[in-house]
Amino acid sequence: MSRTFTRHGDAIRLTLRAEEAQLLERLAGELRTALQRPGPDDPVHSRLFPPAVLGDAQADREVRDLLADALLADRLEGLESVLALVAGARRSRGRMVVDLHDEEPLLLLGVLNDIRLAIGARIDIEAIDRDQVGVDDEVAYPIAVMDHLGWWQEQLLVLLDGERG
Amino acid sequence: MAQATQPAAAPVREEVPEIAEEPSADLPWDVIVWDDPVNLMSYVVFVFKRVFGFPEHLARKLMLEVHEQGRALVASEPREQAERYVKELHRYGLRATMERAS
Repeated sequence: MSRTFTRHGDAIRLTLRAEEAQLLERLAGELRTALQRPGPDDPVHSRLFPPAVLGDAQADREVRDLLADALLADRLEGLESVLALVAGARRSRGRMVVDLHDEEPLLLLGVLNDIRLAIGARIDIEAIDRDQVGVDDEVAYPIAVMDHLGWWQEQLLVLLDGERG
Repeated sequence: MAQATQPAAAPVREEVPEIAEEPSADLPWDVIVWDDPVNLMSYVVFVFKRVFGFPEHLARKLMLEVHEQGRALVASEPREQAERYVKELHRYGLRATMERAS
């Protein structure tokens, strides 16, 4: 399997097959919509904006009110940045290539994580015994997508950790 | 003999409202990270290093505590700092809460 992320000078290069690029674009767009127009009792919203204070309902409301706008703005900014990167990427021989600079790798890492959390919330991953999931099960595909994005995250983490070392 | 002058306003005893101080007001707030089935172990280690500046071995130890025991105490701070940590951890997608230290 070819690497999704590679070091190129000061940049981290993201190389995706066309179908992977479409997948990332679609999932990021869907998450943006879910954040902008959350439905009632949306599990994605509950997962991405979880309780903040235990044992004190009033303090929990205060802290969550305090944090909610900034958290939402940060998440939407990350999604917009990643969608812009994908839209502006160069395409060559069926692949999408984009060089990530400065904070862009970290933004992408966060967006990949948010997408995985959103998928997990939608399928109620905590109630699923993965060992019992068959290939024809309806959750098999979303779980495979989560794992694929997790593989991207692992590669990115190795490169980001190398920078910090 | 000097005349006694009448004060412009009669002195009044200033009312000082009684503030019922919470017995635990000075106690720090514990920041707890909870296990979840989605966040990668390597990602949690990365976040701990980034948010708290923990060295690798401590970040890994706390990640394993979260993974194996379901939760780990990662900081104990005054309320505002605890809020900042919780916000950062939520931004990274970790399940984190704060509670008054007991």
